[in-house]
Order: sequence, then C-alpha cells, then structure tokens
Amino acid sequence: MDSKLKPYMLLLPAIIVLLGIFMAGLLSALVQSLGYFPVVGLKKITFEYYLEVFKNQDFLKSLFFSLYISLTSSVAAVIIGVLLAYLIVKSQYKEGIETVLYKLPIIVPHMVAALLIFNILSQSGILPRIFFNLGIIRDQSQFCNLVFDKNGIGIVTTYIWKEIPFVTMVVYTILNNLNKELLEVALNLGAKKWQGFIYVALPLLMPTIGSAFIIIFAFSFGAFEVPYLLGPTYPKALPVLAYTAYTNPDLTNRPYAMVISMILTIVSVILILLYTKFFRLLNDYNR
Amino acid sequence: MKVLQKNTIYLNIIIYSVIILLIFPLAVMFMWSFARSWPWPYLLPQDFGLRGWKYFFNPTSKALFTLFLSVLLSLIVTIVTLVLSIPAAKSLAFYNFRGKAFFEIFILAPLIVPPIAVAMGIHVQFIKLGLADSFLGVVLVHLIPSLPYGIRILTNVFQAIGEKIELQARVLGANWWQAFIFVTLPLIAPGLVSVGSLIFIISFSQYFLTFLIGGGQVVTFPMLLLPYIQSGDRMMAGVFSSVFVLTALLFFIIVEKTIKSHYSSREYFYF
Repeated sequence: MDSKLKPYMLLLPAIIVLLGIFMAGLLSALVQSLGYFPVVGLKKITFEYYLEVFKNQDFLKSLFFSLYISLTSSVAAVIIGVLLAYLIVKSQYKEGIETVLYKLPIIVPHMVAALLIFNILSQSGILPRIFFNLGIIRDQSQFCNLVFDKNGIGIVTTYIWKEIPFVTMVVYTILNNLNKELLEVALNLGAKKWQGFIYVALPLLMPTIGSAFIIIFAFSFGAFEVPYLLGPTYPKALPVLAYTAYTNPDLTNRPYAMVISMILTIVSVILILLYTKFFRLLNDYNR
Repeated sequence: MKVLQKNTIYLNIIIYSVIILLIFPLAVMFMWSFARSWPWPYLLPQDFGLRGWKYFFNPTSKALFTLFLSVLLSLIVTIVTLVLSIPAAKSLAFYNFRGKAFFEIFILAPLIVPPIAVAMGIHVQFIKLGLADSFLGVVLVHLIPSLPYGIRILTNVFQAIGEKIELQARVLGANWWQAFIFVTLPLIAPGLVSVGSLIFIISFSQYFLTFLIGGGQVVTFPMLLLPYIQSGDRMMAGVFSSVFVLTALLFFIIVEKTIKSHYSSREYFYF
C-alpha cells in the first residue's frame, strides 16, 4: 500500500460513517431549516423561519432557560468534582471503596438520574419527609416544589448529581499522575497548601478541567430526557421545544423544529470556540 | 502528628458526605422497588412486596425479552464501533499526515453537536432508505455518540503502547494480520475492553435516538422505563431502574473479571 495513503485508508471506514450519518443529518437539518422540505411541497430557500423563531418570545425564554441550566449545572459539577478529586488524592487510601463507589452515577443513565432526583425533591419525596420529621414543615404543601419548577432546580440537581463523578474521575486520573515534586517545591518555598493547590495544581489541571466542562456543558445543553421528565411546561428547554415542534402533525411546521435544532448546534459551537479562544489567551498570559 | 490526624478526619468526613449524597438517591430508588405502601410522611416503607419484581420476571410482560434485545443491540453497537475505531485510532496515533488536525476535530464533533439535531435531520433520509423503524437503522444511529469516545480513547491507548513492538514482529517476518492478531491485539485488549464497556453503557442508555429512529418499532429497555418515570409510578420505575443499573454493573464486573484473569499484572491497565 502507498504509505502516503495509508493513514487515510485507516481512517476511511469511520469517516464514511460520520459523513454518511452525522454530516448528512446535520446538512439535512440545515436545508430543512431553510425551508426546503419537498415532501410537503416546501421548496423555496428562505431565512423566514429563522427570523420568525428569533421574534418568538417562547423561543427566547427557552434559549435562556437552557443556557442557564447548562451553565449552572456544569459550573457547580466542575467545582465540586475538582474538589472531591483533590480530597481523594490527599486522603491516603487510594484503592479504598470510596474510589469505586463515587463512580456509580456514571453508569446510571440520565433518565434514571431524573427519577432519583424526583424521589428526593418532589413534594412527596424524601427531603420534605425529612423536613417534616424534623419539624421544619408541618404540611406537604409548605415544601415548595423543586421539580417541574420554573427555576429548573430539579433539572440542575440531576445534572450535578450525574456529572460530579465524571469530573472527579477525569481530574483524579490526571491529579494522581501529576508531578508531585512541583507541589513540594512550592511548599518548600513557603507556599501554603491552598496556595499550592490554586497556583500549582490548578493551572496544570486546567486543560483537563476545560475539556470536561465542554463535554458536560454541550451534553446538558442538547439533551432531551432530563428536561422532558423534570422540566416545567413553560418555559420548555430548547431540545424539548424542538421536539414539540417536530411532532406537530402539520408537517409544514417541520422547518421550525429544524431552526431550533440548528440554533442549538450553532450556540454549542460558538461557545466552544469562545472557550478555546479564551483558553488560549489565558495560556499565553500565563507564559 | 495530632494535627495531621485531625486533618485526615475532617478530610474523610467531607469525602464520605459527598459520596453518601451521591449514593443515597440510589438506595431510595432500590427501596421503592420493594415498597408495597410508603405513604407521606414516613421515612421508610410501611409494607414491603414483590409485585413489581414479579411483573418484571413474568414472561407475559416481555420485560426480560426487551432487556435481552437491548443488551444484544448494545453489544452489536459496541463491536461495530470498536472495529471502526481501531484502524482510525491507529492512524491518528502513529501517522503524521495532511489534514490530521481537521480529522481529529471532526471525529470529536458529535460530542458537541446535539444528537437531537442530527437525528431529526437524518430521519427523512432514513425513512426514504427504509432504515427508519428498523434494528439496523438504530444500530447505525447509535454509532454517532459512540465513535468519538472509541476513537479518542483508543488513540491514547495506541500512543501509550507505541508502534515499535508491532514493527518488530513485522521485521521478524510476520505479515500484517499476524502482527495484528498475535501482537497488537493482545497489547490493546485491556484498553479495548474498557472502551468497550464505556460504549456499551452509552448505547444501552440511549433513549431519544432509539425512540426517533426506531419509531416505536424497535423497543429497547429505556423505552419501557420512561413511561413509568413520566407517570410517577415510583415502585415500577424503581424496579425497572434497578434492573437497568444492575445490568450495567454486572456487565462492568464481568468485563473487569475477564481482564484481570487474563492480565494479572497491573501495568496493562490504562484507565
């Protein structure tokens, strides 16, 4: 085999699948969002649907709701996850049961995670029952509903619960293999422990933390199950809104669904680009 | 010395409280699956029963059959993903070529682009090709969230091993498939197994892609489970969720045991 072609040949099967399904799906969504859907006789390419969607109050509310959910849950999960990883590395038992147990939520699907949080936070859940038995509330109705609520507490909690172990696992692996001498040098030179963490360990961990943040942010921004199961009827999260438009029996509504899912895609990509840009600046500055 | 011990105690208290917070909801769910009656405001079920579990194991409910079908589907997705990922990962790990950076980003793109956009877009084409509402169609669409993980992690595995051992086999006269089967494959096997279990879980947990492309004709386990969660039937949802988590856990344990029996030395573990 021609050695120049070999790397491409090895990549080919995977790339064909990605082109044939992923790229084709994305392009098809783009074309349909521009109003081309010949099955129901829509053949004119137009930006009309985009303009209409952007004028729609429901859409704008959903967009902010989705951004708020993903940002809040990802930031919280990253902070708690990193701290937990740091604490586990500092505690001496490295092969203990806790290093296995905390990983459990990783194999729990999001749908089940939603059920777990429902069992805890709903008005008949465990948390209000505990409050009642402690005498903090006297009646079920005194516990403000934390699922199906407009603040998305149930959704955010579910994502935090699910993503903490992921962040912890990724950061733990890197932290454990980190060059310990660097930290010791800092401590020898008179840095306090927290300073060692903030100024030595954290910068070295930043790339890992950053990519973990991107993955969980993008996932929660585009995921359907959790807001579908625990979200309020209004505002709906963006993926739920897209799906509602998609299942509209009037097929001439299809382009609206595609516009919403294209905006989901575009926002994710823009945020990732902004993030990498910011990150590069930060790196240059540190150097 | 005493200060140090006190610190360790605080440290452990924090670690264990976080871990308990993470585990506690799972315990509550498991308890619900055995609850015959658990009214407000009791902290424990007032009466226990096996109605949900009996329903699950009853052949007429088809729950066990669906579970079996789901496991089969996810196994197929896992194998196809690995077969596609091994050459791709090798290419990215060992070769420098034009457009490499582009391919690396392109392969990770499905992690960033919401699957809902891809699935809704491809649905029309799948209907035209007869792939919608079919097992094959669902397998194909499950490849999209799986491939980025498969290729990315296997690239790291290949980089960790290096190319030299395989090249040595080639120099000593092995042809490419002998070198692959007898040298490379045993070397990457532990990595392959851990990526495999990750992909299995990804595919096993899919709801939206299966639901949209399968069109209700391909019924997987998450599709049986969702209506129970949605209707707030905590006992039945508890049973089905417990089965879900236990199946995934069992899969992990079996996989872990298999690697350990083959590779007693820990240096083979990359993750």
